[in-house]
Amino acid sequence: MDEYIVELEKISKSFPGVKALDQVSFTLKSGEVLGLLGENGAGKSTLMKILSGVYTKDEGTMKILGKKVSHLSPVTAQRMGIATINQELHLCDHLTVAQNIFLGRELIAKGILSDKDMNAEARKILEKFEIEINPETLVGDLSVSKQQLVEIARALSIHAKILIMDEPTSALTSKEINNLFAIIKRLKAQGCGIVYISHRLEELQHIVDRVMILRDGKQITSMDFAATTLSEIISYMVGREITEKYPRVKEKVGKKIFEVKNLNAGRMVRDINLSLYEGEILGIAGLMGAGRTETTRAIFGADPKESGQIFIEGEEVKIQRPLDAIKAGLVLVPEDRAKNGLCTALSVRENIALPNLDIIASQWGVVNPKKENEIVEESVQNFDIKMAGVEARADSLSGGNQQKVIVSKWLARNSKVVMFDEPTRGIDVASKVEIYEIMNDLKRQGIGVLFVSSELPEILGISDRILVMADGKITKELDVKDATQDVILTSATKFEKKID
Amino acid sequence: MKRKLLGVVLCIVLLLSLVGYASGASKYRIFLITMDQMDQHWVTVDAGAKKAVSELGNVTYRWLAPDVKDDAKQIESINNAIAGGADAILLAANGPTAVTSALREATAAGVKIIYVDSPADYPGEQTLATDNEAAGNKAGQELKKALVNKGITSGKLGVVNVNAATASVVQRENGFRAAFKGTAFQILETQYSEGDAARSKDIAANYITQGVVGIFGANEGCTVGTGNAIKEAGGKVIGIGFDKSNTILQLIKEGHLLATMAQNPDVMGYKGIKAAVAVLEGKSPGAAYVDTGVSVLTKDTL
Amino acid sequence: MENKKKQGKLKRILAKRGMGQVITVTIGLVALVIVFALLNPYFLTGRNISNLLRQIAPTLLTGIGQSYVLITGNIDLSIGSVVGMSCMTSATLMTKGVNPWVAVIITYLACLLIGLLNGKLISKAKLPAFIATLGTMTIARGIAQIVNNNYNTDSIGEAAEGFMNFFYYGKTLGLFNTIWITIVIWLVFNFLLSRTRTGRHLYAVGSNMHAAHLSGVNISSTVTKAYLVSAFCSATVGLITTATSGMGTMDAGNGYELYAVAASVIGGVSTLGGQGILLGTVIGASVWGVLQNGLQFAGAPVAIRNIVIGVIVIITVLLDLVVRQNKKVGTGKVGTGKTTSIGLKHKA
Repeated sequence: MDEYIVELEKISKSFPGVKALDQVSFTLKSGEVLGLLGENGAGKSTLMKILSGVYTKDEGTMKILGKKVSHLSPVTAQRMGIATINQELHLCDHLTVAQNIFLGRELIAKGILSDKDMNAEARKILEKFEIEINPETLVGDLSVSKQQLVEIARALSIHAKILIMDEPTSALTSKEINNLFAIIKRLKAQGCGIVYISHRLEELQHIVDRVMILRDGKQITSMDFAATTLSEIISYMVGREITEKYPRVKEKVGKKIFEVKNLNAGRMVRDINLSLYEGEILGIAGLMGAGRTETTRAIFGADPKESGQIFIEGEEVKIQRPLDAIKAGLVLVPEDRAKNGLCTALSVRENIALPNLDIIASQWGVVNPKKENEIVEESVQNFDIKMAGVEARADSLSGGNQQKVIVSKWLARNSKVVMFDEPTRGIDVASKVEIYEIMNDLKRQGIGVLFVSSELPEILGISDRILVMADGKITKELDVKDATQDVILTSATKFEKKID
Repeated sequence: MKRKLLGVVLCIVLLLSLVGYASGASKYRIFLITMDQMDQHWVTVDAGAKKAVSELGNVTYRWLAPDVKDDAKQIESINNAIAGGADAILLAANGPTAVTSALREATAAGVKIIYVDSPADYPGEQTLATDNEAAGNKAGQELKKALVNKGITSGKLGVVNVNAATASVVQRENGFRAAFKGTAFQILETQYSEGDAARSKDIAANYITQGVVGIFGANEGCTVGTGNAIKEAGGKVIGIGFDKSNTILQLIKEGHLLATMAQNPDVMGYKGIKAAVAVLEGKSPGAAYVDTGVSVLTKDTL
Repeated sequence: MENKKKQGKLKRILAKRGMGQVITVTIGLVALVIVFALLNPYFLTGRNISNLLRQIAPTLLTGIGQSYVLITGNIDLSIGSVVGMSCMTSATLMTKGVNPWVAVIITYLACLLIGLLNGKLISKAKLPAFIATLGTMTIARGIAQIVNNNYNTDSIGEAAEGFMNFFYYGKTLGLFNTIWITIVIWLVFNFLLSRTRTGRHLYAVGSNMHAAHLSGVNISSTVTKAYLVSAFCSATVGLITTATSGMGTMDAGNGYELYAVAASVIGGVSTLGGQGILLGTVIGASVWGVLQNGLQFAGAPVAIRNIVIGVIVIITVLLDLVVRQNKKVGTGKVGTGKTTSIGLKHKA
C-alpha cells in the first residue's frame, strides 16, 4: 500500500503573461491523503487541472499508476481512475441526483436510457457511503450542502483510484463533515490516493497524512503532517510570520447606533430584534439554513418584508429597497460575491463606482471622470487591492481582493452600518486577516459592524457580542467571553428539523 | 347570485351562436385562402368576393389567410377550411406543388377548388388569374417602345423583384426579359426586396448610380420604390411597374413612372365566387382558364 | 510633453473595453469597401457614397436601440413592428389631413407606449424578454394593419413635402438630412450610455442583475429606459420610411429587429449583456449596409448574396471570440470557473 500512484516531475505551465507553475514536482502514494495548500493563486488548482486532464502541461513528465503519460484529456483521465470533486458545483439543476451521478456515462438497458437502473445504482452508492439523499430528487431542489454531497457521490461512483477534493466541506454541516471524513478513511483503506485542498486548516488534522505547500507557482516544501504545526504551515504558505490569526481589538462600547425591531420576512426571518453599539462587532452565528443571509437581505431591503422597523442613530428609516438603505448609510457585503457582490465582467473601477454614482455624477447624471478616478484610487490605496490595474475585469482578481473591492465601494461613502455576510469564505489566510483588520478599523471609527459567519473560530475570534440563529429565529445572545463552540452549536441546532 | 347570472348569460350566448351556425347551414360555405393578409392585392380580391357574396345572398363567406406567406401555414388554412365545413375554396396557391397534400384532402372531403391569381399543379374547377408572363412581356414592350422613341437602343436595365419563390412575380420577370431578347439592351442581375417599398427604393437608386436607362418593378412595393428613386434622381431613367395604388398613380401623373400594369384582383374575387356557386349548383363554370387581364395605365389614360 | 499627453489619451481610448472588436471589424469593413470598389467602379462614386450612408441609417438607428436592450441582457423583437406601426400611424394621420408635425409627435408618443409596455412586462411582470417582445411585436404589427383598415395608405401628398425633405429627401451642408438625424441621435445616446449614471446602470444590470440590485440600482426603471430608447429609434426609422415612400405600407420594417441584432453583434455588443459600445454598432451597421449595397453592384446572384452575408457575419463574431478568449486566459487568474450560459437571460 505504499507505491506511488501519481508522480509529476518538474511541471511547468504558463498562460499568456503569467507563469502559473514553475518546475513543480508532486507525488501521491496509494492509501494516503495529501493536503495541497497555498494561497489563492498559488497554483494548486492549475496543478490539479493538469492532473485531471483539463490543462496540458508545457514541460515536465507525468506517471500515473506507474505508466508514463504524455497526453491526458478529461475523458482519458477519468478512465484511468482520476476523479475531481470541484469547489464550484458542476451539477445540472434540472436533472435528478441519479441522472447527475451518471452524467456522461448513462446506463442503458436494451438500447434505451434506463432511469430504473441508474436510480438503483445511485441508491446503492449513497447508502454505501451513508449519504442521506433520495436519488430521484431534482438537484435544483436540494440545499447547497446536499448538492455538495451529490458531487462527492458522483466522484465516488467512478471508483476512482485518485481523488482530488477541492474545498469539499465549504458548504457542509458538521455532521456531514464527519461523515465525509469517515468516507475518506474508508477510501484510504481501499488504497485510494486523495489530494485534499482546503483553506480550513483546522480540518487537516483529522485526515491528512502529508502536506505540500505551493506559493507563487513554485513548490515550497512537502512534509509529513505529524512533523509540523499549523503556524509553521501558515508561514510557509504566506512566506512570512502571521502572529495573530484573529486580531482582536478592544474598544470602548458607546451609544446604540443601529436597531432592528420585529423584523418578519417569511419563514426564515421571524421576529428578529437586535441592537448594535458603537465600538463593537456583532457576530451572527448559526448553521446553513438558519436564516442569517435572509435576515441581512430583509434589513437591507433586498427582499420584501412583512413587518419590521429599522433605526439608525436613533431615527427610524423606511427601507423598501436597497437604495433606501444605502442612502441611510446601511450597506451590505453579500454572501457569494460572484453571484451577488460584483459585476464580474465589468472593471474594478466600474464596480467601485457603481453604488457611488450619486456622488460621482452631476445632478444631471453626467459622470465626472476625475471624481471617479479620485474615489477609485483612494479605495484601492486604502484597502491595498492587488490587481492588474483598475481597468482589469473584476473576476480576474483573487477572492480576497474581490472581497476588498466590494467592501471598498461601500466605504467610499459615509456608511454608518456595514453588514458582512460570510466575508472570508473561499479566501486564503493572509487575505482573511486583512478583512478582519478592515472590520476592526470600522469598529475603531465608530461604524457599526454586523458579521455573519459559519466558521465558529472566526466568530469567536473577532466578535464582541454574538447572536445565534436557528430556523429563522434568534436563539441566544451572549457576550464573547461567555461563548464557547459548544454553547453556540447547541443554540444553533435547537430547532434543526430532519429534512431531505 | 352573480355566478348564476353569469352562467345564464353564457348559456344564452352559446345557444344564439348555435342558432347562428345552424341558420348558416342552408347556405354554401365558401372560404377564400390567399398567400397573406397584408398585401393590398389580396385585400382587393376579398373585396371583389364580398361584392359577389352580397349579390348572391346564398353564400356564407370567410377570408382565411396566414399572416405571412408560408407553405405550412397555407396548408393549415386549407385544413381549417375543410374542418370548417367548406363547400368550396378560392385559393391563391403559394406555389405549384407547395400545398398539393392539403388539396388532395380537400377533394376527398368533397370540397370544390377554384384558383384565383396563382394556380397549383392540381386539378381545379377553374383558374382566374392574370396571365403574368403576358403582362410582364407587355410591360417590357411598352418600355422598349418608349426607349426607342427617345433614340435609346442599347444600355443597362434593372429589375426590382419581390423574391425568387413566388410564381406570379417570377413569370412577370420572365415575360419582361423575353421582350428584350435579341436587342442590345443588357439586363443586370435581379435584386429582391420582398416587396418592401423602402428597400426597393434603395435598390432602384443603386441601379440609377450604375447608369441604367430603364427599371422594371414587379409588384406594388417594388414599383413605388422605383418611382420614388427616379423622382429623386431627376433625369432620364424610365420606370415601369405593376399594380396600382394611389401613390403609383401619383408618380405616373408626375411623370416619374411611364406606366403600370394594373391587375384586376377584384374581378378574380368576384368572378371566382360566381364560378364556385355555379359549380356547387351543378352547372359548368365556363372556361377552364379566365384571364382577368391587365390594363396599361399611363399618364394619358388616367 | 504635449505629444506624450496625446499619446497617453490615444492609448487610453484604445484600451477601452470593446475597442478590440471595433478595431477588428473596422479593418474588415475597409477590406470589404476595397473589394467592392475593385469589383465595380460605380461603387465609390460620390452619388453612391451619399446613397450608401443614407441606406445605413435605418440599420444603425434600430441597431442603437437594440444595442441598448442587449446591453441590459435582454432583446427587443418588436423593433420591426414598431417601425411598421410608426410608418402607418404617421402616414394615415397625414392622409387624413393632420399636420405632419403633429402626426410626428403622436407617432412618437404611441411608439414610446410600446416601449414602456415592453419595459414593464419584462421588469415588473417578469416575463422573459423574448416572450414579452414577441407579444408586442404582434400587437404593434396589428396596430399597423388596423390603423388604416388593413389598407396601405394613399400618398401623403404635397402638404407633407416639408416632412419628407426633413426626414429623407433634403440635404444640409451636402449631406442628406437622414444622415444628420442619425448622427445627432447617435451622439446623444452614445453620451448617455458612456458618460452618465443611467449608462452605468445599464451595463451593471446586464453584467450581474443581482449585484446591481444590491448596489442600489433600480432594475425596473433601468430596463424600461432601454426599451424606451429602442422604441424611440424604431419610431424614427418608421418616420424615415414614410418619408421615403411618401405613403404608409403595412409591412414596413419587417425583420428589422434581426438586422439590428446583426449590426450590434458584429460591432461587439454581446447578446449575454454587459458588454459593447455604440461605436461598434456604427461599424456593424456599416458592414451590413456595405454588404447589401456592394453585393448589388458586384452583380451577385441572390443565392450567393445570402450565403456571403451570413458567412461574413459569422466570421466577424468568431474572430472576436477567439481574440477575447486568448486575452481572458492571460490575466493570470484562471477565472472563477463559472460556466457561461448560451442564450438570453431571464430577467428575474
